[in-house]
Amino acid sequence: MAKFRLLPDEQLARSPFKQLWREFSRQHSAIAGLLIFSLFFLLVLLSAVLTPHDPYLQNDSLLLLPPSWSQQGLVQYPFGTDDLGRDLFSRLLVGARYTFGIAMITVMGALVMGLLLGTLAGMTKGLKSSVLNHLLDLALTIPSLLLAIIIVAILGPGLQNTTWAIMLALLPQFVHGIRNAIAEQLNQDYVIAYRLDGANNWQVFSRIILPNIWEKLTLMATMALSTATLDIAALGFLGLGAQAPTAEWGAMIADSLDLIYIAPVSVAIPGLLIFLAVLSVNLVGDGLRNAAKKRREN
Amino acid sequence: MILYLLRRLFLLCFVFIALTILAFSLGYLFPGEPLQNFTGLRHIPVNQLEQLSAEYRMDQGYIQQYLGYLTRVISGDWGMSFASEQGLLQEIKRLLPATLELAAYALLISFFIGIPVGIIAAIKPEGAVSKIISALAVTGYSIPIFWWALLLIMIFSLGLGWLPTAGRIGVLFEINHVTGFMLLDILLSDTQHQHEAMLNALRHMLLPTLVLATFPTTVMIRFTRDSMLEVWEQSYIKTARAKGLSRAQVLYRHALRNALLPVIRQIGLQFSTLITLAMITEVIFSWPGIGRWMIDSIYQRNYPAIQAGLLVISTLVITVNMITEILHTLFNPLARKR
Repeated sequence: MAKFRLLPDEQLARSPFKQLWREFSRQHSAIAGLLIFSLFFLLVLLSAVLTPHDPYLQNDSLLLLPPSWSQQGLVQYPFGTDDLGRDLFSRLLVGARYTFGIAMITVMGALVMGLLLGTLAGMTKGLKSSVLNHLLDLALTIPSLLLAIIIVAILGPGLQNTTWAIMLALLPQFVHGIRNAIAEQLNQDYVIAYRLDGANNWQVFSRIILPNIWEKLTLMATMALSTATLDIAALGFLGLGAQAPTAEWGAMIADSLDLIYIAPVSVAIPGLLIFLAVLSVNLVGDGLRNAAKKRREN
Repeated sequence: MILYLLRRLFLLCFVFIALTILAFSLGYLFPGEPLQNFTGLRHIPVNQLEQLSAEYRMDQGYIQQYLGYLTRVISGDWGMSFASEQGLLQEIKRLLPATLELAAYALLISFFIGIPVGIIAAIKPEGAVSKIISALAVTGYSIPIFWWALLLIMIFSLGLGWLPTAGRIGVLFEINHVTGFMLLDILLSDTQHQHEAMLNALRHMLLPTLVLATFPTTVMIRFTRDSMLEVWEQSYIKTARAKGLSRAQVLYRHALRNALLPVIRQIGLQFSTLITLAMITEVIFSWPGIGRWMIDSIYQRNYPAIQAGLLVISTLVITVNMITEILHTLFNPLARKR
């Protein structure tokens, strides 16, 4: 009676999510990325509580205070103050909300819209799908900065308008990726079997397609998050996105550019934070991609 | 193959028509009078108003207006720039080569560094060299380009004073505008200081090209490495190894050709990102290209310029996309069947 094993293979008995986590947690870089990412995420949620000073309060008696590690610095102002006497550390903390937090919202929005349009494109056939594809090809070719420039020209500069621009710029790749993933799933034998059982489109979509593509969705979202963060910072730097008093990291670099000789810290640290945020997202994305690949191989 | 090319050509026409419709509708969407946006004249004299609106078919329906716009675009009458009050097409012709030059050198660097390094990283995927390359690649991939440019300027221009910070060539050199490509123009010019001018232009070019090349190079490294690793697992590679070919032979005869196919396609896909990055680079290094011109146009509310810039940049990106896709199909018999 050795036809079946009482105890199934330990690895296969685990849920797909647990298998994925197992492969993910084996990679040191991915775990480090996840840690930094969680830190930034907490910062986005809690930065309003954590700031030691009001990030917009201008203190005339403390203009251009050097960082605390230099002789003239004060411990209360870890990175010093800017040319208007605002605490740099508080501004950097709040900046996480604008650069990283808004990038997350942008990606969420693009993901939801992309899922809707991508499903529509993937599940329908014929003329409708063909027109959508050609429009997507056009949209994919317009560089994101160009799209942002056009939207800013129509609506005027501002963080909210550039958010729309970046969402629109991210949308085509989501729709494209989701449509391809769905088309790939629809060709599988188990979908045909399920259809033969009498499942309708909605059941096929919610029971089979969605659970099978969520891995790809997460991957696309992490890749889009790094692009969105870089784009928001770049637009802030060019003066098209977040406007002057807002403590967005890119705009902060642009603000302190004329002080680069006197206070290089105020240029270096916001940039470093953007870099770290994007790096953590990319590390998590790479780790997820590797883990997903290994899980499928097992 | 001919059928395939015809289909691509048809698609190109379709995309171009959609693009011109978009550009045309911008004339209405931008603030201000549509007639001002189309002609590029900020102050239209009252006595010319009648004649101009007849010429631009403003009294007729949108479709007639669009057809008029299309004929103007094709015949080269693109209207004036609000800022300089000169023809937009002439202005773009002067600026576009600078951007193309910058982008082309950055792409070349990304080929000549990215592909070999990616192959090296794929030889021993778990080895120390490969890990270092991957770490560098993910760093270059994550760095915000404007900050990277500022860092390099701080180190090499302000700190060490080795390289200039702005422009394409020193103001002392007078190079006539022939092709618009600086290095070619210097070779074509007959000044006695050709050698010095060349060196000077190269020194101006070094930092912007390096900054711009960072992203495509890292993308190239990552992509080549992944593609190489995937091909290396295929059974035909194992067969070739089993037949007794050395690693180098397998690499050259079987692996490389198959691994580089998706890389060709990647160039087209990354080109629009490259143009975005080129625009930012141009702003930082005061490079007189079309990207800096577009961003200046935003500050100056120069709507006709934005409209024309959209048309030119998108056409450029679409063309590059199309060419890489056709090349990909040409080299890959499997893709031709579809």
